Amino acid sequence: MKFAFFSKMTGLTQSPPRVSGTEVFWSWLGSFLGIAAVAYINDGFLEKTDLVLIIGSFGASAVLIYGAIKSPLAQPRHLIGGHIISACIGVSAWKILFFAPWLAAALAVSVSIAVMHLTKTLHPPGGATALIAVIGSPKIHHLGYLYALIPVAAGATIMLAVALIVNNLAPTRRYPEYWV
Amino acid sequence: MAKEEETTGRGPGAGIELQEEDIFAAMREIPGYLDITPRDFKEIYALAFQHALERLSREMSVEEIMTREVVWVQQDTPLAEVAAAMGQRGISGVPVLDDTQRVVGVVSEKDFLTVMGVKESQNFMTLVASCLRSKGCVALPIKKQNAGDLMSSPAVTVRPETRVRDLAELFTDRHINRAPVTDAEGRLVGIVTRGDLVKATLAGGQP
Repeated sequence: MKFAFFSKMTGLTQSPPRVSGTEVFWSWLGSFLGIAAVAYINDGFLEKTDLVLIIGSFGASAVLIYGAIKSPLAQPRHLIGGHIISACIGVSAWKILFFAPWLAAALAVSVSIAVMHLTKTLHPPGGATALIAVIGSPKIHHLGYLYALIPVAAGATIMLAVALIVNNLAPTRRYPEYWV
Repeated sequence: MAKEEETTGRGPGAGIELQEEDIFAAMREIPGYLDITPRDFKEIYALAFQHALERLSREMSVEEIMTREVVWVQQDTPLAEVAAAMGQRGISGVPVLDDTQRVVGVVSEKDFLTVMGVKESQNFMTLVASCLRSKGCVALPIKKQNAGDLMSSPAVTVRPETRVRDLAELFTDRHINRAPVTDAEGRLVGIVTRGDLVKATLAGGQP
């Protein structure tokens, strides 16, 4: 019994192959342009306002929507849905449990994962989006539910637009696999 | 690992077993990062293959699985001969034909049991029990009868082009174990049994 438990940790298979140099290039280009677009608007237009457009979880989204574009986790439904749902849950967790940040943080992430599963929108960066709503700066907290719209929905939409352009410019790529 | 092979062993048929190295090689040919391990793909492949076999077996027609050489009797065949034929061949039912080879009914073990006074649970042991309770053989009252007197009529028949999927439904709905296969004129061309159905759904889908 004990042996069976530990033997499960030994792994079963080999790692998938490494992608070609061309793929690496398109992943780099897409993520560069995607993050550049969001960061440029953030720095150039929103610096002096109370708004932000870029949050840490977009870096994780970039890995998926420019680097693993065939994955279900990287499809538009998951990108947009996962971010917005998690943002709402994260903000709610902070509003209800601001006096116990550790509990708010744990619930924000865990409930987000559960709801993303149920809505078929599982997107790993969504967990970060929910967490940022709790552990983020006072500026983030001040946004309230606006957080779900700007930066989350707006930023994810810009990154999606870049993904649609760059991924389909690449001769060996096609994006998305599905919309709904 | 050896254990795993056993459980998924009936996957890709008796012929080619897909190896993880094949999948790895295939994954290299597809540009872009695939978010799946070779092993997961192999598992999906084995299960999908099984589903395909089942789907194909359901889409097979009766013609592909039926027995063509059928033991049959006529309406005026004495029951003693009918029973002897069934016993000899180890079969539990025979179609009854008229002079023009048309199927008019089926005589099965169940029909015998019914007329021999086994009304409720129609099986051999109930017959033995009633035999032991009565004086003489319970088969005596039907000694003079023919196949035509005993048969279930009209017979539930199928056509050669009937889908195996529909056949399974028919067997279940009508509580029967076999059905004579007839052509458009109702003439016997074969017989199909529950056993044939089981064989058809086995891995490989071979008739």
